[in-house]
Amino acid sequence: MATPEQINPEVEKLFLAKIKRRHLLAAMSYPEKVRALVQLQRMAYPILKNRNKRACIWQIDNTDI
Amino acid sequence: MEKTLQVLNSLECNGVLGRYAIGGAMGATFYIEPFLTFDLDVFVLLPQKGPLLILTPLYEALREKGYREEGEYVNIEGVPVQFLPAYNLLLEEALTEARTTNYDTTPTRVLRAEHLIAICLQTGRDKDIDRVRLFTKEASFDMEYLIAVLKRHGLEDAWQHLNK
Repeated sequence: MATPEQINPEVEKLFLAKIKRRHLLAAMSYPEKVRALVQLQRMAYPILKNRNKRACIWQIDNTDI
Repeated sequence: MEKTLQVLNSLECNGVLGRYAIGGAMGATFYIEPFLTFDLDVFVLLPQKGPLLILTPLYEALREKGYREEGEYVNIEGVPVQFLPAYNLLLEEALTEARTTNYDTTPTRVLRAEHLIAICLQTGRDKDIDRVRLFTKEASFDMEYLIAVLKRHGLEDAWQHLNK
């Protein structure tokens, strides 16, 4: 396993940006988070269905996010 | 989801539910980044007393409103909701101390971050432990309060093991 000294500075920058983005996502309003969740469900649905896993997309319209 | 929460509020208002609070992945999403889930876990205290935790009156009230069960879920305004009666002391405490917040303009109740962490430690599945890690990185919570909850419910070892 790579020690912290071995991580390429460019890659480290990418990791830091990822952490920052996660904090921004955590700080979103609840309706924005639900919008993001429904988007995740849309993305995951075909993949999970192909693997015969349980999946669904919440049937809520934009006015009820 | 606002309409779903309004239905839950009306169930509580009418006394069908003693008290409810959102938990599980959606509960966590109130504190940390959104992540994939397909259902809304709703913990409930039921109004009836006795050793049996029976959800039948709740399901009947929902059926009267036109919401049908789909397996262990009830589809309420497009969202599959799973009702989970508080089945132990930790969940009863979590429900009692759940905080009220607004989802847009609708008031709702969500378990405290500290209780969500404790519940994850108690269930202890891999995905729960991953969730605890996310909480420690992204959520603001009261460490003193968390330690007290963990002590009360015998979860200090699990917490320490995770933080080794």
